Amino acid sequence: MQALTELWSRGGKDFAAAQHGTSFDIASRLATATGQEGAPGSAPVTFFDLQGMTKANEAFAKLWSSAIELSQTVTRNAQQGKKQDPLVTDLLGKVFDPRAWFSSMDGMDQALQRMAEGPRLADLWDTERKMLNVFNAWTALRQRSLEHNTVMLDAWLKAAGKFAKDLNETADRKEALGSWRELLALWVETANTALLETQRSDAYLKSQREILKASTDLRLAQQEIAAFYSEMFGYPTRAELDDVHRTVTELRRELRALQRANRDAPKAARQPPKGSRKQPTQAGPNRNTP
Amino acid sequence: MTNSGAPIHIKPEQAISEAAALGEKIARGAELFSKLRDNEVAIATTPKDEVWRQDKVTLHHYRPLADTKIATPMLIVYGLIGRYTMADLQEDRSLVRNLLNLGIDLYVVDWGNPSRADRWLTLDDYIDGYLAECVRVISERHRIDKVSLLGICEGGVFTTCYAALHPDTVKAMVLTITPIDFHGDTVENRLGHGFINIWTRSLKPEDIDRLIEAYGNLPGEFMGSVFSQMTPMRTLMKYNLDMLEVMDDEKKFLNFLRMEKWIADRPHHPGEAAKQWLKDLYQDNKLINNAFTVNGRQVDLGNITMPVLNVFAKDDHIIPPATSQALGAKVGTKDYTELPLPGGHVGVFVGGKSQALLGSGIAKWLSERQ
Repeated sequence: MQALTELWSRGGKDFAAAQHGTSFDIASRLATATGQEGAPGSAPVTFFDLQGMTKANEAFAKLWSSAIELSQTVTRNAQQGKKQDPLVTDLLGKVFDPRAWFSSMDGMDQALQRMAEGPRLADLWDTERKMLNVFNAWTALRQRSLEHNTVMLDAWLKAAGKFAKDLNETADRKEALGSWRELLALWVETANTALLETQRSDAYLKSQREILKASTDLRLAQQEIAAFYSEMFGYPTRAELDDVHRTVTELRRELRALQRANRDAPKAARQPPKGSRKQPTQAGPNRNTP
Repeated sequence: MTNSGAPIHIKPEQAISEAAALGEKIARGAELFSKLRDNEVAIATTPKDEVWRQDKVTLHHYRPLADTKIATPMLIVYGLIGRYTMADLQEDRSLVRNLLNLGIDLYVVDWGNPSRADRWLTLDDYIDGYLAECVRVISERHRIDKVSLLGICEGGVFTTCYAALHPDTVKAMVLTITPIDFHGDTVENRLGHGFINIWTRSLKPEDIDRLIEAYGNLPGEFMGSVFSQMTPMRTLMKYNLDMLEVMDDEKKFLNFLRMEKWIADRPHHPGEAAKQWLKDLYQDNKLINNAFTVNGRQVDLGNITMPVLNVFAKDDHIIPPATSQALGAKVGTKDYTELPLPGGHVGVFVGGKSQALLGSGIAKWLSERQ
């Protein structure tokens, strides 16, 4: 159980410190690189919401402290009076690590971030106003992600609290869980219910929506950069390609309609006999690609 | 917590025994894994021939496995989320094989792999374009006026719309796990069921527009992550517990891997079609209200006058039963039958009990309507 406690403490501390440090590191580097001003004659550039990010960090850190406290309570009592079993400790360490809920449960967040993060941030420091827009969007996505993790951590706390209560009641009844599977089954059932209830909550749905919006904003800001360079070097932009694809789709649509009209006209005139089913008339592919 | 005693009493000898058993299981699994070859986890292996192709869409005709007993050929129509291979996952868990063995002449349409270039394709193109062409090709090949349709999930919506628009070309329609009333999740409001409905309604229409503007389509991995959220703990435990449970049993491990293969093969959903799917249907619920349009024509469910068999899974967390059952009150035929099956969304096709009931249920229903 010592290892479990250390794992949680170390993980939580590192996670919160990393989030906090990242924000300030980014802020200082960006201030140096851009002077927080937009290009002359351009629209004013809004510096990213450091206050909002800090607030999100604080909310998360507060919950994280509670999580650690709860974990220590569970740790102290789960194997009370018994010699600590390293296998149980290891199992609990994996099962009750709340970080898993950030990395695995918010799959959509992860997927969106993977999709949105084309160029790495390090590649963007020497650029101008468009780059700052990208950075602001990236920061907003990080903030939304942190807010979402806070919602998830709250859910984890509820699940862990319920789990501890159930264990406590088991002990009060002079009963005990006799195998890993029983222990795991109790946790899975408790956690699953907590997660499903959370997914229906306004807080969860709101944070998911905000992540989706932030991810989309980042992607669009990146596309603006791509379009800028495409135009500079004479390559087709995404918008131009979309136009071409739209035209092709519409032409194909018209072609299909014309083919259908041509096909149906003589058929309607001939009125082929209807009736008994016959075997297919051809075995090979009938390619009809416009 | 109280001091009345420790709630966990795992005996050392039992723990050691369990750990040893686990170690052996992992060793056997690793050995099995090292010997596996790609063809052993192949899916959709039932022999078939391509008979028509347009753009990225292909129509296949399955080779018969038994004498034909149902005169009218049937076209399987899957949706754009996931792939038709679910209906033919493996030899002993294949709706396709079951239907072929029961004497049904079977076709399947494969929508291909839409890319960003297909962003502008609409549901109209799929329903009134490609699907209509598939029906025409089958009709011409067999010199018949009508074919039967078997729609699966979003593909069931396609066939429903097509049948309402072209009832004179459809002999009978079978729907499986198909949403019709997209707000029907609120009927039971069951925990863990209908998350996509809830999630989609939490978005604003402009969120969806901007998503498609940014990505050009509804990325397959994005939908995959939404599905993963619907079974949260299973997703979390999948590769460290579920897989461990089966990895030393060759048959079960191969089943697990084939399912993973199907899950990983998740095509992108064309952007404009995705907007219609999410906004017109999931958000605005136009289909059940006869307000959905295809190529400017209203999809009136009352025009569905052919026999309808509506199959749903009683424990479907993706398409809650009420979302499917709503069709019964709207169709224009009196020959409407429901077939509730045990299990969940995918279990209908691959679950031991359901998949057998599904194939025989469809064949029996069709044979009674020849």
